[in-house]
Amino acid sequence: MIKQAQEILSLLPSSIQYADVRIVDQQSEQIATKDGVVEALESSTSRGYNVRILKNGVWGFAASNDSSKEGVEATIKKAMEITRASTRYKQEDVALDDQKPVKATYKTPVTEDPFAVPMEEKITLLLEADKAQRVSDTIAISQTSYQANREKKYFVSTIGSEIEQEITWTGAGIEASAVSGGEFQNRSYPNSFRGQNQTRGFELVRELKLAEHAPRIGQEAVDLLTADLCPSGTFDIILDGNQLGLQIHESCGHAVELDRVLGYEASYAGTSFLTPEKLFDFQYGSPIVNLTADATIPGGLGTFGYDDEGVPAQRTFLVKNGMFEDYITSRETVTTLHKINPKYNKKSNGTVRASSWSRLPMIRMTNINLEPGDKRDISRQAQTLHNSNGSKAPGASWRNGLKISSAHGGSLEELIADTKYGIFMSTNRSWSIDDKRYNFQFGTEIAWEIKDGKLGRMLKNPTYQGITPEFWNSCDAICGRGEWTVWGTPNCGKGQPSQIMYTGHGASPARFRNVKVGVVKW
Amino acid sequence: MNKSKLKSIAEQIFSSSHAQQTEIILSVSNNSLTRFANNQIHQNVAWKNLGVSIRVVVEKNKIGVASTNSFDEASLKQTVARAIELAKLQQPDPYFQSLPSPHIIPTVDQSTYSATEEELAAGVNEIISAAQAKNLTASGAYSNDTYQLAIANSLGVWAYHKGSSCNLSTIVLGKDSSGFASDVAKNTSEINPAEVGNIAVQKTLESAHPQNIDPGEYDVIFEPQAASEMMAFFQWYGPNARIYHEQASPLSGKMGKQVFGKNITLIDDPFHPDIFPMPFDYEGQPKKKMTIVEKGILKNIAYDSYYAKRYDAQNTGHALPAPNTLGPIPLHMYIAPGDKTRNEMIASVKRGLLVTRLWYVRVLNAKMLNITGMTRDGTFLIENGKIVKPVKNLRFNQSIPEALNNVVAIESKLTRLASFEGELVGLMPTLHIRGWHFTSGTLF
Repeated sequence: MIKQAQEILSLLPSSIQYADVRIVDQQSEQIATKDGVVEALESSTSRGYNVRILKNGVWGFAASNDSSKEGVEATIKKAMEITRASTRYKQEDVALDDQKPVKATYKTPVTEDPFAVPMEEKITLLLEADKAQRVSDTIAISQTSYQANREKKYFVSTIGSEIEQEITWTGAGIEASAVSGGEFQNRSYPNSFRGQNQTRGFELVRELKLAEHAPRIGQEAVDLLTADLCPSGTFDIILDGNQLGLQIHESCGHAVELDRVLGYEASYAGTSFLTPEKLFDFQYGSPIVNLTADATIPGGLGTFGYDDEGVPAQRTFLVKNGMFEDYITSRETVTTLHKINPKYNKKSNGTVRASSWSRLPMIRMTNINLEPGDKRDISRQAQTLHNSNGSKAPGASWRNGLKISSAHGGSLEELIADTKYGIFMSTNRSWSIDDKRYNFQFGTEIAWEIKDGKLGRMLKNPTYQGITPEFWNSCDAICGRGEWTVWGTPNCGKGQPSQIMYTGHGASPARFRNVKVGVVKW
Repeated sequence: MNKSKLKSIAEQIFSSSHAQQTEIILSVSNNSLTRFANNQIHQNVAWKNLGVSIRVVVEKNKIGVASTNSFDEASLKQTVARAIELAKLQQPDPYFQSLPSPHIIPTVDQSTYSATEEELAAGVNEIISAAQAKNLTASGAYSNDTYQLAIANSLGVWAYHKGSSCNLSTIVLGKDSSGFASDVAKNTSEINPAEVGNIAVQKTLESAHPQNIDPGEYDVIFEPQAASEMMAFFQWYGPNARIYHEQASPLSGKMGKQVFGKNITLIDDPFHPDIFPMPFDYEGQPKKKMTIVEKGILKNIAYDSYYAKRYDAQNTGHALPAPNTLGPIPLHMYIAPGDKTRNEMIASVKRGLLVTRLWYVRVLNAKMLNITGMTRDGTFLIENGKIVKPVKNLRFNQSIPEALNNVVAIESKLTRLASFEGELVGLMPTLHIRGWHFTSGTLF
């Protein structure tokens, strides 16, 4: 296939500045069960290629599933026509960073190929879990889902890169819904919205032990029907890792996408409050908050070998000791940022991906992580935050004298024991954030009251809201590595035309002080 | 690719299937999209595809689905074999009886239009020029899609439709404000990019220097885009047979009952001349105009063949492609117009907010249809019937059924709307809603 990609590349005229060709072959398999019936059993394949051309300082992109000689010629012609149309109204030339050519292969390490596991076995596993959730007549709906995806990508470019990759990712989850009168409550395991997903094989699905957890999930859905409503007010909250993953996704991951920051997404998803002048000079979070973009974590859903511009996967600090350090970037956006902020002189950190052969690659989250707490941070708590000039960094005013907790870096049990009164929230139910990523509101499926260091009564319909830097500056404890999991978010939407991408978020439970809770009128 | 070629592909697939029943969905698409930001085109793309999805039934009620976009003989045979193999491994679905039988498909306009890249770029340039003239920054997308859809099954269903759409939307940015406008039509000649640009520019200028405002309950004037962003969630979670019978819809058990205010009539009309006609659903069953709510009373919900048979109801032609875990959805629903003009509606508000559009709307509780989200791209305070100042954006938490019981007035005309973030509707009037719940503000 690399040869075929090179043949397409060789047909491009010499007048172009740069071009790349991607051939993509996608395979997927999905099973969904509901109330003991297999509701969906689907297998799909999609193959195609695209050419991306930079000519006269503008991009042209065309894609097709027709790989005949005529089809390829028509696709190249279309891409060239597009560059001509864009050139006429050009205002500034696109510039790319310098990258060395890469000749490499990458393959997701998989212990058990999900496509080789017999279908009967997968169906049986799901139906057992489906049934085990029905612990009561009030369970109105029991559902399970499983998905496996394989993407073979062949990339060549005019700088001489030749990259062949095979990415495999797998996921599964269960969900029980209980109904009584006007009350309707859901519980999911291990996470809502298609469960847990990772770049791993069927071993992930086996490790989840869906059927073992199903009775507890069913019972929690039933118990939520009669649980007390989550109180409204300002409380300390502990977010479970599966909820914190989405919090990171929405309030950090999207906010650090450099294309958004530069206005490229203004027409749809919006912009970002993390504008270029804040780079290296903004207190995004408390000093224990360390956020990374890391496409190299084994098993992370945003893990790969090379991005769709041929840039190697990397680990980058976005927020270090609370300070805003970097964006997730592309070959084009780093050159634009350098013009705006000459202090920024980095190359792409390799985060560009496309959701299929028919889509233009763009900056996407890789694995955006809240690094686990480290007990050594506690000794730093007396330090005052300063920026490089020695003055107090913008954003630090949101900290309000926060001190790092002695439970930082420990277990969830220790963190709960360290909390006099608070609310522990788990498993996302709803999410929403404004178009600059300031004001957010999340709802979770379930919560428990914490009193004097112990988990107490179950609470239904929990929600919390805040302003992003204020919220992250209120973080006083993050559980340690032992509680850390890379959660998969397989449904991240961005771009026009829309692209759904799979991303990962490493997180362990963390505590946030004085958060606005339960403001929704039910 | 054309109708007869698609039919011959369908016949080729039927000849290689030994399943009891076979259904084929063939889709052809040719798409162009010119995207702009910072007053210049930055993403300009085109793509085309031909895909097939095959659903087979074996042993009466075991179903498998396989799809591909490779059309050589071997790949098609392999895809049929894969679907049959999956079906054989399936568990029986006790509620499935049969694929649907053929019915007469209504005739609708099938004209198509393919825009050139130059044409889209020139339209974009008109918007950029309008923004630059006021020292503003334009972003947006102008797209053209032509499509063919053919559905066939082994019981004799054959349905074919083709069409096209042109979709233009823009967000114009000022220093501390933004404005939105859009249009959608079958042909670029029906879209006036300069006018779309001018509307967005005007919104941006009017919303400059927004002021803080306390959250709380307000009367709201929802412009058509905001109304459609709210109603999209009602379409998915309200009159949907699957959700209705699972007792998970706010409408569950309320057929024939007053569910909304008497001024609310909801119509699903796949043949409305101002939107894109769709003569059949994804099982090749004929569509028809359907009243969902009439003067606040629930009259009909959407069914496909599966849920119609399962719950002994009439199939209303609302199937989505198999396998469908969402349930049947009314894709062409709008609120019937009222008798007021937009200006009359604003003039009747003592104190309230004019909302251009909503953003990041999500469901908090499907049973109650509580939603949360933000305002975006132009929010204004109205006092004593007049727009007095722009305000910073607000977050809301609101029950849709409650809102549809609090509609005070409805605009007398319907506005054509582009799909922006999953909205399905093509038409919507301006709404005046009493007591909308805003719960917090943001910094811009």
